[in-house]
Amino acid sequence: MTTPTASVAPAKPPGPEGLRPEGPLPTVTQAAVPFIEIETLRAREFLPAAREALTSLIAEQGQTKVIRPVFNWAGRNSLFPLHWGLACCAIEFAAAFGGRWDAERFGVVPRSSPRQCDLMIVNGTVTWKVAHKLITLYEQMPEPKWVIAMGNCATGGGPFRTAYSVVPGVDKLVPVDVYIAGCPPRPEAMLDGILKLEQLIRERKE
Amino acid sequence: MQPDDIARQLAPKLGDGLLSVEPFPGTAGRVRFRSERALELFRAVRDDLHFGHLSMVGAIDWVDHREVFYVAWSDAATQYLFLSTDVPASAAHVESASSVWPSANWHEREAWEMVDVTFDNHPDLRHLLMPDGYAFHPLLRSFKLHEPEELEVKSRHV
Repeated sequence: MTTPTASVAPAKPPGPEGLRPEGPLPTVTQAAVPFIEIETLRAREFLPAAREALTSLIAEQGQTKVIRPVFNWAGRNSLFPLHWGLACCAIEFAAAFGGRWDAERFGVVPRSSPRQCDLMIVNGTVTWKVAHKLITLYEQMPEPKWVIAMGNCATGGGPFRTAYSVVPGVDKLVPVDVYIAGCPPRPEAMLDGILKLEQLIRERKE
Repeated sequence: MQPDDIARQLAPKLGDGLLSVEPFPGTAGRVRFRSERALELFRAVRDDLHFGHLSMVGAIDWVDHREVFYVAWSDAATQYLFLSTDVPASAAHVESASSVWPSANWHEREAWEMVDVTFDNHPDLRHLLMPDGYAFHPLLRSFKLHEPEELEVKSRHV
């Protein structure tokens, strides 16, 4: 009776052809982040080390180049939209935060005060009566701030474009970053718009 | 309540202010009256005929004149009563009903901003559905629909 040994490897990896590379798997020889050596640190040692690494990097490359990606990373992962609804798109807006789509997994949490928000999702028909309130809310939001026009009405007036009481597109009032088409857009479309906005923030230089 | 009953009770108070009372589908009747005697008619309809609730006020632009109409409701008779009066387009004004039925307040604001009928002695005649400073009366037949650019300039008011 022979005992199988672990050193005897099969000649070819199991499974269909071409799915696995030949030879041993590559090992990580370099740190994923080039400028910080990865080592195990105690918690009280980590903060001084991180501060020192950041300080030297800032001295080397300049403050904007180092801080901006960190700032963008933090901002795009904690977008706080203003919690207000104008028309039927607000139903889809609400559904996107329910259990089925759960927009909070992207860090999107609606807040009720514009002073705590950096994202305004205009979800519905904007009338001239509410236009002044919309501008006031936008101006109360702290910088940096973004606007998503959700649905056809907010994008271009929708079926009410020629009506006497409807603003033909919310971009006549505030600058819009992302337009989401649909009447109304499904929650997946709203999440896709939020991810598009996250891409915009990721590429933001200024 | 039949149109004849209504005419019999209103005629002594209104005199020549009452033009006609005719059958009108879904209501106790349609009362047409002169706009100068509006307040007397409202008081008579409320106090003598006991139509205690004013359900609706509206106005129609008939190009050569404008028609202001009121729909009153009686809890006792469980019937509506349709009141209407014609005003010339050049001087479209009628006495406000809000001193008789307070619910007329907002309805008359809407009728004024949509069809440009002025309600005299109204306590608070300002825009209801449109922003302050809105320059149009959209339900007039002379209003052109396809002018969003001009609308934008005149109604922005920021």
